Formats: sequence, structure tokens, C-alpha cells
Amino acid sequence: MLNVTDLQSGYGEMQVLWGIDLEVKEKSITVILGPNGAGKSTTLKTIFGTLKPWNGRIEYIGQDITFLPPHKKVELGMTLVPEGRHLFPNMTVKDNLYMGAYLKRAEERFEDSLELVYSLFPRLKERESQKAGTLSGGEQQMLAIARALMTSPNLILMDEPSQGLAPKLVKEVFETILKLKDEGLTILLVEQNVFASLEISDYAYILHEGKIAFGGTVDEVKESEEVKRAYLGV
Amino acid sequence: MRNYTPLVTLLLIYAVMIAIGQGIQGMWQPIMLVIFYIAVGQALNIFLGMTGYVNFGYVALLGVGAYGMAVALGYYTDLGLIPALTLGFILAILLAFIVSMVVGGIALRLRGAYFAIATIGVNEGIKYLILGGKIWGGSSGIVLSGILRKAYGAETMRFLSTVFADAGLIVVAILSGIITMYILNSRLGYGLIALREDEDAAKVMGINVRRYKQIAFVISCILAGLIGATAWTLKLTYVFPQDVFAINYTVEAIVIVMLGGAGTLLGPVVGGLIYALLKYYLTIAFPGMQLLILAPLLIIVILLFPEGVVGYLAKAARGTRFEKFVR
Repeated sequence: MLNVTDLQSGYGEMQVLWGIDLEVKEKSITVILGPNGAGKSTTLKTIFGTLKPWNGRIEYIGQDITFLPPHKKVELGMTLVPEGRHLFPNMTVKDNLYMGAYLKRAEERFEDSLELVYSLFPRLKERESQKAGTLSGGEQQMLAIARALMTSPNLILMDEPSQGLAPKLVKEVFETILKLKDEGLTILLVEQNVFASLEISDYAYILHEGKIAFGGTVDEVKESEEVKRAYLGV
Repeated sequence: MRNYTPLVTLLLIYAVMIAIGQGIQGMWQPIMLVIFYIAVGQALNIFLGMTGYVNFGYVALLGVGAYGMAVALGYYTDLGLIPALTLGFILAILLAFIVSMVVGGIALRLRGAYFAIATIGVNEGIKYLILGGKIWGGSSGIVLSGILRKAYGAETMRFLSTVFADAGLIVVAILSGIITMYILNSRLGYGLIALREDEDAAKVMGINVRRYKQIAFVISCILAGLIGATAWTLKLTYVFPQDVFAINYTVEAIVIVMLGGAGTLLGPVVGGLIYALLKYYLTIAFPGMQLLILAPLLIIVILLFPEGVVGYLAKAARGTRFEKFVR
């Protein structure tokens, strides 16, 4: 579904990604792991287009989307759950969801998307008219994912969805991601939480200093003693 | 949930102001000052209030609008009055459009405070281009009174600089309000609110943030150009670079928007009323001391109403029958 070849990018003069190759298969969960500063978030930002690629090629459902701006990618069914959630704290939960369905394509499917969102997150329905800023951390993360779902996507990029959450909520978030896969969605995940994310993922890539150090199925990752020792610290 | 009823409040306020100005001796001048500041705030609000971006080059747009009208009236008298006036409005719009497309196209690539810094130079740049390049009369400006009197007679000139200029400004002010209301109720408006609240979130929702900011910027700038053309060129019948590129108007416009409530329809109206009336009467009561008294008063208002007076009123009216009329 998503094919990335030789992707390079960075900030200003500083190059962060030194040629990333990765593939995301349809209806799978793929996780990118790696230490701080390896370029995990940068990879997602470059794929989504908030950061311009310097070089390389990004292909999505057979189209070259390397230099498309983010809003065009959302139109094509890709979305990002940004790091730190980026909700509208002064709007109600429902208004946040309305905002998610901003595009015409998404607005047409508003009812269906809302039904899906509320079946996945019954708690958001209970808190529908509450301001997003007053939700707990876990609920806010749920809302961030829910708002992304309202764009009616096929591929969701998630930047550290478990960040800053209590262990019990982390588990809940990962269970939700599994449910999204069951709904037929494809997920590309960036995570610090190695154990929990390997538990739910089908494929894993290990990023090291802006390059892919290892890539394969989760079982392959788990079996490779070298990978575990060198990069995952287990 | 489209709601245009706040326009009723808006038009009512204009009706009362015009009635007071026409009915009470000596009130027309302060009322027109108020309407000038309302217009200036309302046009800026479409960009500042909707996007949260500060345009420090704002007055330059009033300036080029003023020059557009002055050039048409001063250099194309042969066309006759109506065609020259029409050309004046077209030039004002066109110049404001070109400047805002160029400035926006470049500066809107920057986010937040960097945009504000980038726009500071615009005003000075255009001013010194006209001064140094001796364009349109350079430092001696364009003085229209003689030209207009010779071409169309004293009577017509007086009509142009009084009734026509005032009516023109009122129309532009009300038009800015109607456009604001339309945007607030539109898809564009929701997109702008999203990007004002969180630009990254807006991108994730599929909003073309660059384009939306540019649209709001250009609309705001064109209206500013029309204010310059009516309130300055037509009313004063002269244009000097030092006058029309005076940065204090930008600051005043920002104050009015923040005072009344950024991103609201009635905010600039209330802000303009408070600001202009305070300034006018403080100048009369304490000549020379007005700014010394005005500044702390404004600080007090901002402290009492951090979301602006209308932002506060809209909250207070929630759940009452006035709710629909305040926005």
C-alpha cells in the first residue's frame, strides 16, 4: 500500500533521514522502533508531507505522492495522529469530531464514521458535549485517534500514541489499534514502547541514526538476538 | 448551523450611529471617526481574528488603496468623473490585491511570529519606494483639491469629499462586516478557525492551510485598500506617503480587534467604538495627555475581558434569548 524508497529529509541544514526504505502492506500494522533521535517522527512527518522530502520516493496505492502537500494526502485517504494529540481543547468532543470530517469526502461519510468511532470508543459518546481539554489523557488520545478516523482514511500514521499514558491506558490504546486493523485499516506506527507494539504489529522496522537497521516480520525481529541486544535493549 | 442574525445587531448599531451623527449637532465628525476605526478593525479582523496571524504591514494596504484612488482622480481627469472614480476603486482593489498576493505568497510560508516580523518591512519598503523612486509625486504626494475643482467644479468636489466619501466608507465598513459573517458561517471559516487553534491539527484534517491563510489575507487587504481610497483620498483630497504609511494605524487596528474580540463579528465594532470615542474625547478634555490616559484604560479593558468585550458578551449571552444576536 505504501512504498518508501531512499527517503531523505531533515531540518534546515541538518539531515536526519539518510535513505529510508520501507513498505507497509495493506490491512497490517507496521511499527517503526528505535532510540530517541533516530528519526522516527521525522519519517512519519516526511511521509505525511509536513516535512518536505529531500530525496527519494513515496508511493501510495500505486501513485507517486512524494511531493504532495498533506491536504492532498488526506484526500487520498492517508492521515496522521500527531505526537502530542493536537486536539481543539476549547471545542466539545463532538465538535472535534465534526472538524475531523472537514473534507467533502469525509463529510459525506460522517454518519458512518461517527458510528464507527462511537462503537470503538463508547466513552467518547458519553462525553460528547464535554470540552476536549477537560478529558483525561487517555481519553484525549482516543479522541485524537477518533478525529483521524473521521477523515475516513485507509492508512493511519500514528506518532507515539502511548506517550505519557499510564500502563493500563497504554494497553487500551494498543487494543484499539488492533481493532482498527480488524476494521480493515492499515496502520503505520512509531513507538517507544517496544514490547506492547511488537505484540500487536505484523511488521517492524528498526531505525538507527536515520537509516533502517533491520526490517521484517515481527517474528523475525523477535528471533534476531543481535537486533534485540543492539537496538531494543532486551 | 448557519446564523446570520448577528448582522441585525450590526446594522442596528450602524443605524443608531448614523442617526446620532445626523440628528445631533457636531456629532457627525466623531461618528465618522468611529466608523473609520470600526472599518479598519473589521477588515484586519478577517485576517488577524480568523487566523491568529499578525499583519504588521496592514497600513500599507490602506496606503496603496489611497494611492490607487489618487492616481485615478489625479492623472485621469480626462475620463470624466464617474469613469475616473470607477477606475480609482478598481486601482485600489488591484494594488491591494497585487501587494497582498506578493506579500502573502512569500511571508505566509512563515509561521506565527516569523510572519509578523516579515511583514514589518512591507510598509516602510513601499513608503521609501515611493519617496526614493519619486513615484506618484514622491514626497510631494498627490494633491487633488485643485485638480478636482478645476475639472468638476467646487460643488462636485465638496460633495465628493463629504457625502460621497463618508457614504463610501460606511458601505465598505458594513461590507466588511457582512463578509466576516459570511466567512464565519462558511466552510472556509471553519477551516480558518481550525488552523488558528492548531495549524498541525488543521493539516491532519486535510485543510490546505497555506491557501486558506492566503485567502483571508487577500480579502482583508482588499478591504483595507478600499478604506484607504474612501476615508483618506476621497475625504481628505490629498495623499502623502508619510501620512498613509504611518505604522500607528496598524497598531491601532490590532488594539481595536483585541479590545473588541478577535474572530468575532461585533468585536471590531465595539472595539472601534471604545477606542475612537475614548481617543476623541480624551484629546478634547486633556489635550496632549490623551495617550497617557488612554493606554492604562485600554490595559484595564484587556485585563477585564481577555477574550475581548464581545468574546465576553457572547459567553454571557449563551443560553439567553440574546444568544443568536451576539457573535
